[in-house]
Amino acid sequence: MYEDPTHPTHPADARHHLASMLMRESLIDKDVVAGTEGRATLVRMLPEAHVVKIGGRSIVDRGAAALPGLVTVLGDVLKTHKLILSTGGGVRSRHVFSIGIDLGLPTGVLAQLSIADALGNAHILGALLSPLGVVAIPPEMFGHLLPLFLHSAPGVIFNGDPPYSIWEHPPEIGRIPPHRTDAGTYLIAECFGCANVILVKDVDGLYDADPKTHSNAQFIPKISVAELRAKNLDTLPFDEVLLDLLPRARLVKSFQIINGLHPERLAQALAGEHVGTIIHAD
Amino acid sequence: MTEALSGDLLTELGKNLVAGSLSDRDLMRQTIGPVERILPEANVVKIGGQSMIDRGRAAVFPILEEVVANLPRHRMIIGTGAGTRARHAYSVALDLGLPTGVMSVLGTFVSMQNARMIHYLLARHGIPFIEPAQFPQLPLFLAERRAAVFFGMPPYTFWQQNPAIGRIPPHRTDTGAYLVSEVFGARSMIYVKDEDGLYTADPKKDKNAKFIPKITVAELKALDLGDLVVERAVLDLMERAVHMRSIRVINGLVPGNLTRALDGEDVGTLISVA
Repeated sequence: MYEDPTHPTHPADARHHLASMLMRESLIDKDVVAGTEGRATLVRMLPEAHVVKIGGRSIVDRGAAALPGLVTVLGDVLKTHKLILSTGGGVRSRHVFSIGIDLGLPTGVLAQLSIADALGNAHILGALLSPLGVVAIPPEMFGHLLPLFLHSAPGVIFNGDPPYSIWEHPPEIGRIPPHRTDAGTYLIAECFGCANVILVKDVDGLYDADPKTHSNAQFIPKISVAELRAKNLDTLPFDEVLLDLLPRARLVKSFQIINGLHPERLAQALAGEHVGTIIHAD
Repeated sequence: MTEALSGDLLTELGKNLVAGSLSDRDLMRQTIGPVERILPEANVVKIGGQSMIDRGRAAVFPILEEVVANLPRHRMIIGTGAGTRARHAYSVALDLGLPTGVMSVLGTFVSMQNARMIHYLLARHGIPFIEPAQFPQLPLFLAERRAAVFFGMPPYTFWQQNPAIGRIPPHRTDTGAYLVSEVFGARSMIYVKDEDGLYTADPKKDKNAKFIPKITVAELKALDLGDLVVERAVLDLMERAVHMRSIRVINGLVPGNLTRALDGEDVGTLISVA
């Protein structure tokens, strides 16, 4: 054994510790982990910021048919709301996934590659909002400087991807990165304790089947994660991993999906109205 | 919507991905296929923070001597844990009510300190420390110098997911190192800690803890142990892994263990997906 005379109560401990609540503890121990819950009320770092993701394939890829109307509404709401905007990667991400899979590249590489697509779309949105001082921020500095940017400008734009890159988790099935731009958008809102999360897509919200291919699909205005899981739908209009993340929410316990082809709904949703589908944790 | 891509895509899968839903399980099954091993000869070696580096010279110098001795025969991507300073920072953050994502940033800084120290001790052998942005140079360093040092924390920072229970970041240095081994299709994933491997309980606290030399992830999950020698997230990721279907945990305080593990010998505990 490894005797350490300076630690009489821990004779085998030659590790040099700093005194703290977690000193010597295993952070994997269930009791230690449970003891970290609710020790203090969580700080909301940006409670007045609203987080809005503009869909990639659903909105940005439509170009002039969809984006200018939303930009007009965004220009209005940016006068009264602080916005953290994000974008999806759209069809370019789908394309690079298909090439990458054909080349035998792993999920982490696909995740790294797709960051560039959403970043391109963030810059497209930033070009349109630049008269308002709202621009795309490089991902490397976005998180650390977010409060400063938001204090200085009415809004900021980031590529919605979480910076998982080659550290992306393998998915349950196949090769597509599970933490995409809906997930990255939600995670930043949860960490910073933002007011709400709105995902802007090209459907009115959630249906019990894909409304683009099923004309009799039923609209679902509000649903919990448990109810949604029980329905076991074939497809969802958002990253499926949100169903894992939302039940673990501490600060942001719901998000709303709205149809950005009706841009006025964005202003309504930011005013707290229920104009799409709200998915909530419980 | 997709006019620019309405011409022939490379594959049928490409067409389906552009038009379809990424939450469609049938479509996801179409993405299953062979995956290249990017760095098949590299071994990912994670040196524990609290277990090794916080012991200072007594533990660090011998393990680094062993790393250097193995360079002619093995390539190593060396990750570092965080340890007691992370526990201190987490404690302060918990007391203040800071969210998990901020704690993830704090943990990253500590594992980076440890990576820098390991790197300076290996510098005379030409071994670099690489941050995430420098990973594209990793293949060159492995080919030329046969090793590189990185910080074990995955760079999730503010995007770290909440744990189901508590506030400690669930994806820490064991997970970050594991994901490096998986994405690169590495030869092995070796965790260097200060216990002989996995026990039925923490052997530092429970004298009756029983050593487990070999176990599957399913068996380990069924045991539902109160404590484990690796982060629980690693077990979940292993079940979904394409390449890295087993990990080894060894006692780095015992000379020769790292060499034996690198040589593929049965040392420590082997945890594998059946």
